[in-house]
Amino acid sequence: PPANVGRAPGPPDGGWGWVVVVGAFISIGFAYAFPKGIAIFFKEIQDFFGTSYGEIAWVSSITLATTYGAGPISSILVNRYGSRPVVIFGGLLCGIGMISAAFCTSILQLYICVGFITGFGLALNLQPSVIIIGKYFLKRRPIANGLAMAGSPVMLCTLAPLNQFLFDNFGWRGSFLILGAILLNCCVAGALFRPIRAVPASVKPQVTEEGKDALKKEVTEEAMEMSSPTNVPMENKTEEEGGKDCCEKINQYLDFSLFKHRGFLIYLIGNVLMFLGFFAPIVFLAPYAKHIGIDEYSAAFLLSILAIVDMIARPTTGIIANSKWVRPRIQYFFSFSIAFNGTCHLLCPLASGYTGLVVYSIFFGLAFGMVCAMLFETLMDLVGAARFTSAVGLVTIAECCTILLGPPIGGTLIDTFGDYKYMFIKCGAVMVLAGTFLFIMNYYNYRMLAKEEKERKAKEEDLKSVRTENEGRNNWNRETAQDGPELEPLREEQEGLKKEVNGT
Amino acid sequence: MPAAFSAKRPGRLPRLLLLCLCLSGGSPADATMTTQDASQSLASSLTKMQAGLTESSPEPMTTIQTANWPTQGSPSDHLTLGHNGSTPALLGPDLTTQEFKQATKENMSNVTFVEYEVLLPGVSGTSMEKNITLDSATIIELSCRLDNKYSHLKSLQVTWKRGNETIRHIDKTENSWSIQLKILDSSKLGNYRCILKGEEEISAIFYLQVPKIEGKEKPIVSYEGDSAIMICKSFGYTPIAWTWYKINGSEQIAINDSLVADKYVINSVSANVTHLKILKLTKEDDGVYWCEAAFELGRSKGNLKLKVLSLMVPLKPFLAIVAEVVILVTIVFLYEMYSKKKEKCAEDEKEFDQVEQLKSEESNGLENSSARNRKI
Repeated sequence: PPANVGRAPGPPDGGWGWVVVVGAFISIGFAYAFPKGIAIFFKEIQDFFGTSYGEIAWVSSITLATTYGAGPISSILVNRYGSRPVVIFGGLLCGIGMISAAFCTSILQLYICVGFITGFGLALNLQPSVIIIGKYFLKRRPIANGLAMAGSPVMLCTLAPLNQFLFDNFGWRGSFLILGAILLNCCVAGALFRPIRAVPASVKPQVTEEGKDALKKEVTEEAMEMSSPTNVPMENKTEEEGGKDCCEKINQYLDFSLFKHRGFLIYLIGNVLMFLGFFAPIVFLAPYAKHIGIDEYSAAFLLSILAIVDMIARPTTGIIANSKWVRPRIQYFFSFSIAFNGTCHLLCPLASGYTGLVVYSIFFGLAFGMVCAMLFETLMDLVGAARFTSAVGLVTIAECCTILLGPPIGGTLIDTFGDYKYMFIKCGAVMVLAGTFLFIMNYYNYRMLAKEEKERKAKEEDLKSVRTENEGRNNWNRETAQDGPELEPLREEQEGLKKEVNGT
Repeated sequence: MPAAFSAKRPGRLPRLLLLCLCLSGGSPADATMTTQDASQSLASSLTKMQAGLTESSPEPMTTIQTANWPTQGSPSDHLTLGHNGSTPALLGPDLTTQEFKQATKENMSNVTFVEYEVLLPGVSGTSMEKNITLDSATIIELSCRLDNKYSHLKSLQVTWKRGNETIRHIDKTENSWSIQLKILDSSKLGNYRCILKGEEEISAIFYLQVPKIEGKEKPIVSYEGDSAIMICKSFGYTPIAWTWYKINGSEQIAINDSLVADKYVINSVSANVTHLKILKLTKEDDGVYWCEAAFELGRSKGNLKLKVLSLMVPLKPFLAIVAEVVILVTIVFLYEMYSKKKEKCAEDEKEFDQVEQLKSEESNGLENSSARNRKI
């Protein structure tokens, strides 16, 4: 029987994958840049409804919280229906949210329309985009991730002047209406996300089991990694071999067994810690610049410098992370970039005058881009593409809390001490701590994985020797038996082939 | 109390008296004043000022501002004379704000005293300018000081002018020339120039004006049937009253919110800020609006523009973008169906070939097994 059927090609790593990257670029760009972009309208809306600045700022917070908090729901939907329908639905939801926001008559309605509905739509955009990259790429995945994540600064740079232009010409209501239409472009991005049915991996016993399960389950998209540094196939196998109980059913939708996964836990703790100090410096960079006497336009220019450096840093980091020296040790690179980010913040109070702040912005943009480009790549690297869907949902809802807490804590520090440097020191310290934690724990994780790999290889060797004995006996039995059983493996391989044909 | 005041500064008074002697404009009687008399005359002059001021300024204004721009190392001793030139008044920068406050608070309640000084460059060319904002009755002293390094310039003639009118009572000290003005109403505001004529002409201009009101440069955009809010702010100075006007062509119409209560609502969140809310907008509400703040010394206007659009205006780009999205999505799906069909044809062919191959292998296998069976 032909032996090459089991040796699956794995993710395409190119071809239509690059079109998917473009779609993900748009989706991720909107998801991250939109909540920041609408801040331009807040002053006018505040005057219109006669509310305080704090009440308006809630709109941004609710949008951000919903985008991150609805991660698990997004994951469940992707597990069930695949990326494409979820993103299209998300795009429609965003559009409807903003269009209805254009006709709002109170701040509460704005909270619901812009905050919840649009936020939820953006969540349905963000997660599936990241997930589908993992399905289309393996060898070039860091580059694809870096390129897709570059969507965020590009969109922000485009949205900011666009929003200003819309506001000057159409007022805030007209702008919301037109922004709703612009958000519908996420549906175009979703249309590009062709479903991919990755063929299961190498070992024969796994093929039969996978084949049976794939026929039974309605879940259409599962990919197995073949050549990752981490030992996912073994863990999946043990899971598969466990009986089907209700836990299995829930895990089918949202994989809570990830909490037993060592790599996932390391990532979760490290990232939750990191996000405490991640966004606050961006929020307070312009106010800090104004505080030390720089005029408003130059302060805004600092943020532009940050965005431009960020834009270039993300794909570059992707290329670096894909190189053969860094890819196997990508977790160390990630921890290094977090620690680098933290050091920038710690050194910021030493920057004096405008030139110092420009230098800080450049380094901050570089570090920020490096971290963001590898944010999802490292998670994929740790848990594998199959469980990534659930992993990303669980991680975003955990990060949601610290992301929301970060800027207010920074603000409280600034208000209490009246000086911005304590906020920078706090952010820097938290991030250096997170980076060091990740570095040490990943070193430990790599060692444990190497040990497990050795054990697995040893077991396989044993199994192989046993198997060859059995096979010899079986073959002898089969030869004396009917023709039917001999045809079975051939028939199953045929079905495997058919699946390969149907999935595009 | 004046006695306390003089007790604090025993040394300065004799010097000032000497200056009194040197400068013209003082009556001979002043020169023979003793310290005691000087302090008494101060008290009398202060009270006279108070009397004069209390008549014309009804507003309670207790803040006292002293601005020295720029403060030089040695405060020059200004001996200033009042407008009518009869009573010497002892006021100058050597007085600390504290002492003056003490003096004035007890004697008068609502005078503001400010000083502005400009350091002139030795060369002509650049005209120095200073903008001074006044919102209530003020006694203001403007001085032009020449830097010490130019003191070699002899034969300097200094004139103070307002427009074409020359001000006569100039106080001169070693290097600076100043005038004191009592600004009680808008007629005294304007541009005051000090001109130093030597070999070259050096001048400085002080612009005295009412506080500026901040309106909005960009137009406020709103829609028919919606409402719009226009906000005017005054920074630092509290106006007495706000009035809103709508400009129709060349005429201005005052907006009275009590008359048309369901159309206009005027309220002030705080004394420095005023809101005009226009409900049920129509095309006629489009145009220029003025918010006018009334200060003691005059009125100041802020300019706002309102644009009322119909709902069709944003609808056009909206529909254009929606159409673009629909077209793109359709193209993507059509392309996908097309490429799937192509692939299916190719795959069907391949599958057909592979099935054929398998079948042939099957038959081979069958032959082999039957051969084996036969063998066994």
